[in-house]
Amino acid sequence: MFAKLALKSLLNRKGSVFLTVIAMSVSVFALLAVDHIRSQTKDSFHSTVSGIDLIVGARTGSLNLLLYSVFRIGNPTNNIDWSTYKSVAANPKVAWAIPMSLGDSHRGYRVVGTTQDYFEHFSFGKKQTLDFDTGRPFAEVFDVVLGSEVAKKLNYTLGTNIVLAHGLGKTSFSLHDDNPFTVVGILKPSGTPVDQSLQVSLHGMEAIHNPRQPATKLMEQPLSAGQSTQVLFEPEKITAFMLGLNSRLATFNVQREINTYSREPLSAILPGVALSELWQMMSVLENTLRLISGLILVAALLGLTAMMLASVRERQREIYLLRVIGAPPIFLFLLIELEAIWVSGISILIGAAGLSLSLMIAQDFLAANYGLHIDANIFSQGTLHYALLVMGATAFAAAIPALAVYRSAKIS
Amino acid sequence: MTIELKDVVFSYPETPDKSVLNIQSWAVSSHQRVFVHGPSGGGKSTLLNVLSGIIRPVAGELTMLSQRLDQMTNRQLDRFRANHIGYIFQQFNLIPYLNAVDNIRLANQFSKTIPQAELHANIIDLLTTFGLDETDRDRPTEKLSIGQQQRIAIARALINKPEILIADEPTSSLDKTNRDVFMSELHAMVSETKTTLLFVSHDLSLSDSFDRVDSLADINTAERAY
Ligand SMILES: Nc1ncnc2c1ncn2[C@@H]1O[C@H](COP(=O)(O)OP(=O)(O)O)[C@@H](O)[C@H]1O
Ligand SMILES: [Mg+2]
Repeated sequence: MFAKLALKSLLNRKGSVFLTVIAMSVSVFALLAVDHIRSQTKDSFHSTVSGIDLIVGARTGSLNLLLYSVFRIGNPTNNIDWSTYKSVAANPKVAWAIPMSLGDSHRGYRVVGTTQDYFEHFSFGKKQTLDFDTGRPFAEVFDVVLGSEVAKKLNYTLGTNIVLAHGLGKTSFSLHDDNPFTVVGILKPSGTPVDQSLQVSLHGMEAIHNPRQPATKLMEQPLSAGQSTQVLFEPEKITAFMLGLNSRLATFNVQREINTYSREPLSAILPGVALSELWQMMSVLENTLRLISGLILVAALLGLTAMMLASVRERQREIYLLRVIGAPPIFLFLLIELEAIWVSGISILIGAAGLSLSLMIAQDFLAANYGLHIDANIFSQGTLHYALLVMGATAFAAAIPALAVYRSAKIS
Repeated sequence: MTIELKDVVFSYPETPDKSVLNIQSWAVSSHQRVFVHGPSGGGKSTLLNVLSGIIRPVAGELTMLSQRLDQMTNRQLDRFRANHIGYIFQQFNLIPYLNAVDNIRLANQFSKTIPQAELHANIIDLLTTFGLDETDRDRPTEKLSIGQQQRIAIARALINKPEILIADEPTSSLDKTNRDVFMSELHAMVSETKTTLLFVSHDLSLSDSFDRVDSLADINTAERAY
């Protein structure tokens, strides 16, 4: 009955209540968005590198190396020699090594030149390896394996012939029209940048880049993943490589060995440590956003308080009536609180639903453009905490009008 | 005695030097229907608020149903009012955005004298007695005529079967026809339930069929406020 009274009373003041709800919803939206996107970004990044012990590239800052090699943000400064890769991979402490040759794109999606080890050893999340939705790993020079997002967005299926371009732009002028690749495999979604990539063999990559070897001619030769291909297309340079070690204890040891490699300057980084650096850098931004959304909440709560105070003045007769039928002052206090809680409860629902909806809409865009996989399901413990925080703050703010009513109702 | 006042003095906190009420002795026995008249500003509403414990007398003894209201805590006063006193005003007797049933139900929330299971039936009975048909029961009371609203107010005031019914110029906003209907229904209801009725008005023409007619000026010896 009391909840109904509070709700009906609010509905009776639709105009001002509506505006207050909107203001509160916006603040809830902002609060939840900052928190959700922050935690999802972290989860997504951490999940992507969870299975990699070391990342090696030409000497550069660790963040730069991490971002371009795994997240495909930014560009490498230098390549490294194939022989360097071979010698590091031969280290007995190294369990597996995945070379990567980057720098090309197909209709806005990155092309990664790599080996079959990629499908065998790259793991994400809780030790999941890449799974094929259909098809198989690449075996031939002109085989390509698509990330799930690429296949979906470009509508490619097994057997589709595609052209891979040199360079990163969507409209590349040096289209390698004479290098038709065939889709032989499509991966299941992994929530990592792999979903937005096309995977070809290093040999395929070399084929695109080696104009002295007309591809058509190569096609005439009996090509298999075997010896003949490797001889023909032994890569000279790669961009970076990922390492898995036999024992994590050896990580720092191997890292030092690579960093002091004499034949060319290299950087070996621990992806987890590099990510921590990234979060460190982001924390100022994060806190600023949090502060701003906190301030929006304060502003919305002030609006709520003002609305409730005004209503208390308009409702003197109603309050008197409730007193006459026996409502104690504490009831009136709680009634005002209850109304405020209704407002914030509804605002939380609207704000959360709005955020979910926005994320659903923005999901593809974020994934395609930033490799960010943000779940539209925002219901987590963090959300619950924020909901309770907003409720608590509302109860606190509503205490001002509620106390005003309480005092006016008290028998003198 | 249902109501007994002895040397009751009241002044509003804003004007502590000007007493609005100063009543040496006044009493109402049970089941009596008392009409109190007096000019507006004479302190009628103030008296009723004191009797129902919404405001406390500055001094004096106030006994209702053998209980000393002046000695009760605030909480006890609220309970006493909820359980024993029905109140009808000139207007704004109802929460305008609630329907008749919810308005009456709300009045019961603070008393709980009626078992929840019987409450709804009781409410419908009362509303039927006061001629409110089904379609009007579910409409917000602000959508009903003033005559209907005032009759719902009687139902609201009587839902907890109070011993005392207080009416503060309840007919002032009604036209002649509605006023007559209201008065006859009120009297019928009060005699049926054997409720003590305290009715105040400046309009002496309403005093027919009351057991007793008092003039506030005779009871209240406080300096006239005007
Ligand atoms: N809440 C209040 N605060 C201060 N003075 C009041 C208040 N209510 C009524 N008064 C004063 O008390 C006197 C009696 O008022 P009231 O009891 O309303 O008279 P009546 O109901 O007979 O018209 C008037 O002088 C009025 O101005
Ligand atoms: Mg009056």
